[in-house]
Amino acid sequence: MIHQQQSKPSSVDWLILIIYYLFVVVGLLCIYASVYKETNPLIYDNTMNYGKQLMWIGISSFIGLLILLLDDKFFYAFAYPIYGLTILLLLAVFVFGTEINGSSSWIRVGGFQIQPAEFVKFSTALALAKFLSGYNINFKQFNVKAIVAAMILLPMLIILLQNETGSALVFVAFSLVLYREGLPGWILLLGVSLIFLSVIALLVQPLYIVISLVVIGIILLALVQRTKLMILLTVSIIALSSLYVSSIDYVFQKVLQPHQKSRINVLLGKEMDLKGAGYNVQQSKIAIGSGGVLGKGFLQGTQNKFRFVPEQSTDFIFCTIGEEYGFIGSTVFVILYLLLMWRILFLAERQRNKFNRIYGYSVVSVLFFHFMVNVGMTLGLMPVIGIPLPFFSYGGSALLSFTLLLFIFIRLDANRVNELRGGE
Amino acid sequence: MNTTNTNTRKVILMRTYFAYAGMCVFACIILCYLIKIQFIENKKWIAMADSLSTKEFEIDPVRGNIFDINGNLLATSLPIYDVIIDAKAIGFSKEDTFNTYINSLSEKLSDEFKDKTANEYKKLFTNLRKVGERYYVLKKKISYKQMRKIEKFPIFVKGRYKGGLILEERNRREKPFSQLAERTIGFSQKNVAKVGIEGAYDKYLSGKSGKRVMQRIAGGTWIPINDDEQIAAEHGNDIISTIDINLQDVAENSLMQVLDSNNADWGSVILMEVSTGEIKAIANLCKTAEHKYEERFNYAVGEALEPGSTFKLVSMLAVLEDGKVKSSDLFDTEDGSHTYCGKEVMYESEKHGKGKLNLQQCFELSSNVATSKAVVMAFQNHPEEMSKYFKKLKLDQKIGLQIKGEGLSYIKTPDDKTWSCPSLPWMSIGYEVMVTPLQIVTLYNAVANNGKMVKPFFVKKIMNNGMLLKEYKSETMVEKICSDENLKKLRNMLEGVVLRGTATKLKNINYSVAGKTGTSLVADRKNGYKNKLYRASFCGYFPAENPKYTCYVIVHNPTKGLYYGADIAGPIFKDLADKVYANSVQLHKELKYYHTSINNDLPAIEKINKDDVKIILDKLSISSHLHNDSISEHETDWMNAVKQDNSVALIPVIISKNEMPNLKNMSAKDAILLLENIGVKTKIQGFGKVKSQSIKTGEKIYKGSIVNLQLG
Repeated sequence: MIHQQQSKPSSVDWLILIIYYLFVVVGLLCIYASVYKETNPLIYDNTMNYGKQLMWIGISSFIGLLILLLDDKFFYAFAYPIYGLTILLLLAVFVFGTEINGSSSWIRVGGFQIQPAEFVKFSTALALAKFLSGYNINFKQFNVKAIVAAMILLPMLIILLQNETGSALVFVAFSLVLYREGLPGWILLLGVSLIFLSVIALLVQPLYIVISLVVIGIILLALVQRTKLMILLTVSIIALSSLYVSSIDYVFQKVLQPHQKSRINVLLGKEMDLKGAGYNVQQSKIAIGSGGVLGKGFLQGTQNKFRFVPEQSTDFIFCTIGEEYGFIGSTVFVILYLLLMWRILFLAERQRNKFNRIYGYSVVSVLFFHFMVNVGMTLGLMPVIGIPLPFFSYGGSALLSFTLLLFIFIRLDANRVNELRGGE
Repeated sequence: MNTTNTNTRKVILMRTYFAYAGMCVFACIILCYLIKIQFIENKKWIAMADSLSTKEFEIDPVRGNIFDINGNLLATSLPIYDVIIDAKAIGFSKEDTFNTYINSLSEKLSDEFKDKTANEYKKLFTNLRKVGERYYVLKKKISYKQMRKIEKFPIFVKGRYKGGLILEERNRREKPFSQLAERTIGFSQKNVAKVGIEGAYDKYLSGKSGKRVMQRIAGGTWIPINDDEQIAAEHGNDIISTIDINLQDVAENSLMQVLDSNNADWGSVILMEVSTGEIKAIANLCKTAEHKYEERFNYAVGEALEPGSTFKLVSMLAVLEDGKVKSSDLFDTEDGSHTYCGKEVMYESEKHGKGKLNLQQCFELSSNVATSKAVVMAFQNHPEEMSKYFKKLKLDQKIGLQIKGEGLSYIKTPDDKTWSCPSLPWMSIGYEVMVTPLQIVTLYNAVANNGKMVKPFFVKKIMNNGMLLKEYKSETMVEKICSDENLKKLRNMLEGVVLRGTATKLKNINYSVAGKTGTSLVADRKNGYKNKLYRASFCGYFPAENPKYTCYVIVHNPTKGLYYGADIAGPIFKDLADKVYANSVQLHKELKYYHTSINNDLPAIEKINKDDVKIILDKLSISSHLHNDSISEHETDWMNAVKQDNSVALIPVIISKNEMPNLKNMSAKDAILLLENIGVKTKIQGFGKVKSQSIKTGEKIYKGSIVNLQLG
């Protein structure tokens, strides 16, 4: 029955919805705590960022509801136009953009600032899903790979040009989707190897790496059967790796800006610069470390009170959780995130519709990438690249874009239930 | 088909599991890291959190400036800096940086501060580095200029965190004119009584301190955090005072000179604008233990003392207003003394009689006997009537000044226990009463101001960032101190003092002065009046016809023989009046045209530039002519001038380029010009005209020779 195509509340996945609101509310409390002052305890205060966040939660909920009420075909039909529109918005930054905190990726609309880079995430997911779910699309074909690569690299490049390295890196997350859809494992392996080599290249002098590679190659060749192909392959891998390592070193020394070098050095533990890039991480670790098992309690974090951690309400929001709710709170947080990932993956895998499934995977990939990098950098595991923690971090554009990302999936999934019902 | 499907399905599921497993692995890593940070390293981080203790610090606001009436700075706040070294900063701790730059840094510091040799500095830094000192105070109170300089020194140039240079800023109060009006400008320090304008307007000047959260890092250093969280300090307001620094300068210098040459204990000068009551200059100097003179106490404001003869103005006013005594009544000065109440003898200061005097004469000659007789005649039977006049002239109460520390006057009334028979006659000549110098000047000013008594004041405007915050206007204390008729008489008396009386020394052709001298014998704390301590004073106004300024000068205990008001206080008054006169065109009388004729003392004019001499003679309206038997004036630039009949004869002089000319009696400017023209360089010593020259007249000279000129 056609009427039943409209989703009903009962078919919405309540678990995701509950986790979503749990995150958003705890996030709001953390933002409140991170800027809390005894003199101004009002939670709704439009001049403070928790007040604004509260307003954005309202706006996001409203738009989320609209999405749930929309026809599910809408997203499939309008995937490309939405993608195109967000790309245009992204380009508009170059014309109408204003600079905020050294980042030139914002557009001012009335009293608001929006960051188009945030919205390209869900639109790329939609476009990717539509393209890959298309009839006769075979991932083994080269032109398919090329189109997919272009779809991902285009927004990535534009965002890179806007000096938002963090947001651009998020698009790497889509490789997980492609992996699920049949991207050969060796490409991922290549990627991982390259990252590994890069890190090694920065830690150790390139000459030693080349020597070790040669030694490993010789040992390898001594152990296995030496065919001509094998020798050729080993030699060329060693040669290419050596070249790559040297070029990484060159880029690091000559191309990177001093502050970028410093960030990398701090991450790799080669430099202790407590006033530069390392300062945030150091402060964040002090906050989390001093939280202990149970934490200091809501609003009791001394590190927040004096706002030691720069950008605590945005990129370093996790350290508020660590300080005020301790290990227990942090563990619950991590488990909830894993639960959310699992739930979305589980639902995505159950989709009959390829479009829905690919979109679901995209959602997981993007959310997980954010989670991994954001929490990682708060703990000093990852480089400090400013990307928000989904649903927690302060920021209207980010919250709205993650809400769109998630709610579209909830809507698509709700339809699966309907489809099943319709089939019965 | 089905199996491949299942296989594909399996592969895909594998991939899904694989991906999710990756996520779980990462989550595990996060949890492990959390365990590491929150359990294993927990104490370390807590300790670090504690060591990062924070405190709210006050940010000192910049104190406002005090300006004089013309916008000259009287008091301002300048930043000063303490230089502190953090030897753990990378610039110091890093071996190669330290070794590369330490020598040049040490040398530069040694050059700049000149307190240690470069080697000593190097040793100091090496040691600090070894110990790991994080907060070593290297130098205190350096100026902004020095700070900017050392900021650029090697290592330091890397900044606070890398270069280890911590600069702590404070503000120091500076008075650009140092001692000038020091007590009136005053000071405001914590835990010390606040003085002068600084003290009285502290509320406006001090501003509001701001707040900033600071964090302590190891080594006890507090560093500011979160620039956005701090409350900025509100800087103090500026004050524009009524003081005119030029007049103040004259007042102070003149007073200093007189005090010094008379070896007096202290002195005070007040200059007040008649119509408004603005204090244009106020100087107080007292002798220090080292026999120097400094501003230590605001006598003008704070010291109530027996005014002596200047107080006779009050007596005259009272007598005239009372009306019982006529202006024409005569009072006998007898032999220069008169006995009151059977035993108390009043003397004239000169110890001889002055004949019979009317009121005008009595005032002009400052007769004690006649003045007291007039007052006794008028008020003997009802002395409380006299008190009414004191009250009317507000002498019995404080003026209510803008600044603190006003002295309390002491005016006896017949109800007082200390009132006795001789009180009335003695009060009439300025004894047994105590008033502050400022009260006297206010009274005289009222006479000058056509009977309207205005309140003296020091602060004119309070400005906030150049915007007017508050303006003080002149305040009337008494609308009319006496009738117009009597006022006219009083002013005649005051003018008479200068024209015929005790202050004829102040007569001058440029402007007229009216005033009254005072020479009082001062009671010593130990010996009463026996020690012959004098206090010389003069209070008056000028120009007498249309008074613009009132001035009071008082000098306490001159010990070099002179002690009369006119001799001691008069010159200071004159200096100040001259300066005011010179600066205020509106006081100038219409210039009389003086015809300048050449008298016999035409100064020697030798080898003067011909254009210059013509301009000068033209300005002085002295006629000149070319000397009869001379060469043409076009052949030279130089002239000698000689008096010839009623005119000046100019004789052109030829200067040879090869021979040294005679430069004697030439002005330095002309001599240099002349020598430059013939290619000789000059070195000059002394002032005045050329007395001697190192190359003799007629000697051969070459281009570039150097000649030393002795002026004198």
